[in-house]
Amino acid sequence: MNDKLRRYIEGLFENVPQTKSMVELKEEMLQNLIEKYEDLIHEGKGEDDAYNIAVAGIGDINELIDDMEKPSVMVDMNVARQKSAMLVSIGVMCYMLSLVPILMCLNSNIKFFTGVIGFFIFIALGTGLLIYNVMSKPKPIIDGSTMVNEFREWKMEKSQKRSTRISISVALWALLIALYFIISFITYDWHLTWIVFIIGIAIEALINIFAAIKK
Amino acid sequence: MSIASDLIRGHTDTIILAQLYYNDSYGYEINKTIQQKTAGRYELKEATLYSAFRRMENAGYILSYWGDEKTGARRRYYKITETGRDTYMRLMAEWKTAKSMIDSLIELEDE
Repeated sequence: MNDKLRRYIEGLFENVPQTKSMVELKEEMLQNLIEKYEDLIHEGKGEDDAYNIAVAGIGDINELIDDMEKPSVMVDMNVARQKSAMLVSIGVMCYMLSLVPILMCLNSNIKFFTGVIGFFIFIALGTGLLIYNVMSKPKPIIDGSTMVNEFREWKMEKSQKRSTRISISVALWALLIALYFIISFITYDWHLTWIVFIIGIAIEALINIFAAIKK
Repeated sequence: MSIASDLIRGHTDTIILAQLYYNDSYGYEINKTIQQKTAGRYELKEATLYSAFRRMENAGYILSYWGDEKTGARRRYYKITETGRDTYMRLMAEWKTAKSMIDSLIELEDE
């Protein structure tokens, strides 16, 4: 008879997403239904009578299910998305503008070193903005009780880690290129300075190893 | 019966909080107590009961936890919180006020 009660409950929840809270509700309802049924049998009711009385006591569960499906908190993601787009645009703009000081030096008699400093300031600014953007992206507060949301959170965490890594990588290579030109122009040892890039590859590999260990 | 249950329905939360005031309990036990106290004249629909549980849990009036029954399915127990006790006292006071007002409004006075 317990199977019959279970089937009845399953039937009620047939078209309902099987979230954690729904599964728990089902378990709770079934458990209480079984106890009620057993009590009725003890009172001397026949099996069918007891089943019908127990099932009739459930009432209309649609409202209950509707209540539970409502997302508990809605987050306005639009504002956050706009802010993020703005930060990325300014960051990229900084990278592009970083060449301006260097180009200006080449065509005038300002010291080359001054241009390089300008270049670094722009790169630092751009990188800072991109990293800030990744770090400050708001996590939507969602009812963590459903499978879908749990998956979404997991995915978001993953992609956030990835974009942090990309930002670091971009910053690293921008710095290396700058370093390459600075050292080269100062020393004129062009046949040696390319080793900077080999060092860069090593540094990136080390960062990856470090990230993997940390995980 | 149906009119009476309409009157009672507005007090579902108070009724449940009262059952939980001194002891933790679970759905069927609460409903059984209600039935016994009303001599079988009133019983909450289970859907109503669970709606009230969820609503009051979200409001922080009650907490739930799963029992550790050795045999059969687990029971989901509910426990009243401090906020829940305060709410019960407030609802009780409101009911007493309303009751005395309604009494004085609908009772016929002797000529």
